[in-house]
Amino acid sequence: MITYLRRIFRFGWTNFFRETGLNIATVFVLTITILLFSFLYISQGGVNFIINQIEDKIDVSVYLKPDITQDDLMSLQENLMKMPEVKNVAVVSKEDALEEFKERHKNEPEILESLEVVGTNPFYASLNIRAVSPDQYSAILTVLTSNTFEELIHKIDYTQKKTVIERLNNGINNVNTIAITLAIVLIVVGILVTFNTIRLAIYDSSKEIAVMRLVGASNKFIRGPFIVQGIISGVISSMIAFLVFFIVCYITGPKIEAITNGFNSFVWFGSHAVILFFMQLFSGVVLGVVSSLIAIRRYLTI
Amino acid sequence: MILFEDVSKTYSSGIKALDKVNFQIGSNEFVSLVGKSGSGKTTLIKLLLREEELDKGRILFNGKNISKIKRSHLPSYRQKIGCIFQDYKLLPNKTVFENVAYAMEVMEGTDYEVARDVPKLLGLVGLEDKLDRFPSELSGGEKQRTAIARALAVRPEIIVADEPTGNLDPYHSRDIISVLEKIYELGTTVILATHDKDIIDRLERRVITLDKGKIIRDEEVGRFIL
Repeated sequence: MITYLRRIFRFGWTNFFRETGLNIATVFVLTITILLFSFLYISQGGVNFIINQIEDKIDVSVYLKPDITQDDLMSLQENLMKMPEVKNVAVVSKEDALEEFKERHKNEPEILESLEVVGTNPFYASLNIRAVSPDQYSAILTVLTSNTFEELIHKIDYTQKKTVIERLNNGINNVNTIAITLAIVLIVVGILVTFNTIRLAIYDSSKEIAVMRLVGASNKFIRGPFIVQGIISGVISSMIAFLVFFIVCYITGPKIEAITNGFNSFVWFGSHAVILFFMQLFSGVVLGVVSSLIAIRRYLTI
Repeated sequence: MILFEDVSKTYSSGIKALDKVNFQIGSNEFVSLVGKSGSGKTTLIKLLLREEELDKGRILFNGKNISKIKRSHLPSYRQKIGCIFQDYKLLPNKTVFENVAYAMEVMEGTDYEVARDVPKLLGLVGLEDKLDRFPSELSGGEKQRTAIARALAVRPEIIVADEPTGNLDPYHSRDIISVLEKIYELGTTVILATHDKDIIDRLERRVITLDKGKIIRDEEVGRFIL
């Protein structure tokens, strides 16, 4: 068995380097396909980052009645935090609301003067609620408008924001659907192009395969070196793809960060380097080996 | 050793290649198959190698019906037959040494046996100084001698040569036939398919003559008569 494996590996290795033209073509196509997978992977990271950013900007403010006690406020906050749909609840006291208002209008003296005319703090204490996902706000609202909390709440601004939230939610879902469809189409195209390139390379060897059979080589003895060649192509392609991807991420990192307001592709590369490397290696080797196995099958019938 | 009994073969195109062919070849015989192009010589060899399936009759090799050999056992059956073809059928990406070694390696010969026997075999056919050449760097005669060395590497019970001199000039043709005679004298059965009159007449051995898929003559010391 060891002798068999050693021979299979030696045949595959020497064939790979003697049939350079076709193998360079195979490695090139495999590299492009692996890079395609990698770009889809990083795009998913980028799209998620942008979606999270947008989602983080969505919140619902619950304005509380002026006579609410501190205990009621804390109890309401605690109850909300226990809900799995709630990501965060920020308490804005009357004083905080007043300070924030003054800060926002510090360059508009007439507005600040009008506050002095009122004489008291006209703002309500409020809770700013962020849901884990934008489609969960209606569930949170249902709880808030239940009898338990209704008497503590003055107003909820969800109705005003509802349309915007729903539109964003639909937009995010559409982006996800388009991205998944595009990814599937590109993956299928990549796999088919790789498979056809390897099929052509094996077709080129069909006469040799016939000779091997006539000499008395068993199917596994014929198939083995082609699988080894598939593995070598996969490994070399994944290494080239990793290097190319590293360079592209390094060059485009700052630009992408500026466009997306915080998503740096090079930082992403750094934090995903290990998983990315193994993903590329795995996809390269699997594509190389499976394509070889399927392509060679028709030449081993008799 | 080999028995053809009422063997017929018609291709899907409707061409009848062999029609009720009967003959027997014993061990250590040198038999020539002669006939015009299309007379059925190559089909006969393909059926013997089970590259093609026969329609009627049966072929026995050492008493065994070769049609009943399972596909998984075909490689070991073919290893008993050393083949030589007009177009050499060498592996272009392997050197002379590797082409011959390949035949031994598929038979699970050890590295020691390969290193010991391949130079000897190449010495037998006069290629001991061209071990590292690729087929594209050899002349036609040298390619055919490599193919002969490879056929011998599996220690076959018979050597089947299908038009081995078809692409060679008269000098190299005589050279190849004398190598085949040497192999026969060392105790191996040789089946030679050819339409070279000079070769057949000079050999003075058994000749089976085919015409339109039928055996029209089978003589112990035959001549090329068509």
